[in-house]
Amino acid sequence: MTTKIIEMGPHQLALEEPMYFRVQLEGDRVADLDVMPGQVHRGMEHLVMRRNLYQNITLLERLCSLCSNSHPSTFCAAVEDVAGIAIPERAEYLRAVADEIKRIASHLFCCAVQANAIGETTLFRRVMEIREIMQRAKEAIYGNRMDLAANVIGGVRYDLTPEAASYLAQAMEQMKKPLDELYLQFGNNPVLMGRMAWVGVLPREAAVECAVVGPVARACGIDYDVRKKSPYGAYDRLDFEVALQTAGDVRARNMVRLAEARQSVSLIEQCLAKLPVGPLSADTLPEIPAGEAIAKSEAPRGELMYYLRTDGSDFPVRLKWRVPSYMNWDALKVMLKGEPVANIPLIVNSIDPCIACTDR
Amino acid sequence: MAIQEQETAAEPVRLFRINTGSCNGCDVELAVTSAVTEFDVEQLGCRYTESAHEADIVLITGPLTVRARDEVLRLYAATPRDRITVAVGVCPVSGGVFRDSYAVDGPLERHLPVDVNIPGCPPRPLALLAGIRQALEVRRARRAGEPIREPGDRKQPAADNFPARGRLSFDASACVDCRMCRHVCAAGAIRFEEGEGGVRLTLWHNSCVFCGLCSHYCPTGALSVTGDWRLDHPAADAFRQVERGEVPYQPCAGCGEPIIPAAPQLLHAVFRRPNPEIEKLKNLCPACRQRMSIGVPRR
Ligand code: SF4
Ligand code: SF4
Repeated sequence: MTTKIIEMGPHQLALEEPMYFRVQLEGDRVADLDVMPGQVHRGMEHLVMRRNLYQNITLLERLCSLCSNSHPSTFCAAVEDVAGIAIPERAEYLRAVADEIKRIASHLFCCAVQANAIGETTLFRRVMEIREIMQRAKEAIYGNRMDLAANVIGGVRYDLTPEAASYLAQAMEQMKKPLDELYLQFGNNPVLMGRMAWVGVLPREAAVECAVVGPVARACGIDYDVRKKSPYGAYDRLDFEVALQTAGDVRARNMVRLAEARQSVSLIEQCLAKLPVGPLSADTLPEIPAGEAIAKSEAPRGELMYYLRTDGSDFPVRLKWRVPSYMNWDALKVMLKGEPVANIPLIVNSIDPCIACTDR
Repeated sequence: MAIQEQETAAEPVRLFRINTGSCNGCDVELAVTSAVTEFDVEQLGCRYTESAHEADIVLITGPLTVRARDEVLRLYAATPRDRITVAVGVCPVSGGVFRDSYAVDGPLERHLPVDVNIPGCPPRPLALLAGIRQALEVRRARRAGEPIREPGDRKQPAADNFPARGRLSFDASACVDCRMCRHVCAAGAIRFEEGEGGVRLTLWHNSCVFCGLCSHYCPTGALSVTGDWRLDHPAADAFRQVERGEVPYQPCAGCGEPIIPAAPQLLHAVFRRPNPEIEKLKNLCPACRQRMSIGVPRR
């Protein structure tokens, strides 16, 4: 059999972000794969140390725009841990609302991009149109469709007025039917089944070995969701089930995402129903002592970890991340092995890779 | 001939995207302009292409990382010479929040000519469409050898009253020169200069990422977020996209030293209902204030 090496970039991979692969082929099947990262390396680790803790809220929101709320909220949680700040209960709920809104939009974007990658243009447009309900809600409540600017150290800096809350409740109502339909469609539609079932399989053992997280892990039956395993913020008072699948293929990953999006709708509704009255934020300008902390959260792509060290000044001494996409990239080697070249864009997009997060 | 012209008019203008290392915000919003009917670039007679050599308009996102530079320049060189280049988001223009990093090699203009800027972080789809319309106008004018038409009415449609986070506005009369805004601004968009007659604040709309943190922490509401998102402009006008204001010095009522008096907004924030005694203090420099309230300071 002939061995060949090809290079693929964002235009071939149907990626929004610049990522390059070197793929080794045996005949027309993938034998091995090298990821060539770095195009989106903006020197974040260096930048965060040159920005004070306040500036970092805005900077980190732009570490990646698809999970943009997870970054500042997890960062603020780390700062609050160092300073021993307990954020007001209302703020806990409002952070959860922001995170779940972003989760729905992020999961839908991932499903849309995959539909596009297999040439299902009508489905791509439909999913994007449904996602617009979320985009519109984000802009109406937060003032921007990607970067919500919801967090401050000590709480949040947006409020849900009764009108905004009822607007959001209405948007959630609007999401239910389309999300249920998409779930059935991605699960049972024969055309989508043909392209997505038993494709890009990640066996459970390999998943454990690669330490994958988020929907990629849950699609292999790994019951791990930070919101359940180590609840933060309001999540210990909210009711939901971890979405699980066992097949470990592209279809299973999307079923997990769509089930989660539907669950996020319910989580937001619960938040709206339980939203306690009270302040939005603890102290405006709290003292941040020297110390260190780790904060974790369940970002749309999985477990996100922040390590922060401070020295009592306004500037962090160290800030490090473990982003979910990092481990998921590694699993691509397993998923792609033996797959035809034509499946590469779909499988790559099925892990919902975030290059901005990984390259930083 | 007429038929010929019509055919040329129906030929879509091709848009080509280059991501130079963005946070993906601008790119995801650009994807919306190819997927969602309301914002589809087709309404402007445009269509996206995946081949560089077909590009009529090049849309560039991201701060231009060192690692992406060569690939970006290679792609750009493959686009036709008469293409119009659009910088999408503030990243390519100023670096946005990523400025001053060893890994960023912007601004984009150092490497290639930019025709139109669309500030925003990310710009909303309607802002993207407005910017692309501006690029179409530059293209038309250049082809016809005419000057670029002034953009007409820049007012936003009244129906579109979404409270989008847009241009920041500065009210110098409320500013107390505490400079908290500059302290919290991740993008370095705010500058203070001390002049003869007062302190001047300058805010660059091409650096600002519209996060609103400055206005959140501003104690007097001197900085506020407006809903004005129509900020697209010819790249040549980049340095005119600023918000400015001067806070005049006043002589201290005690010693005559020039000072920035406390604004009424601050007094109200601190004291609720300032009494005449407090009103008097606001026109004193710190030294005189101390003398007046606790006598001559002991050293
Ligand atoms: S301008 Fe803002 S949204 Fe656009 S790429 Fe830069 S940081 Fe991201
Ligand atoms: S909104 Fe204010 S703090 Fe945020 S980037 Fe603009 S000037 Fe800076």
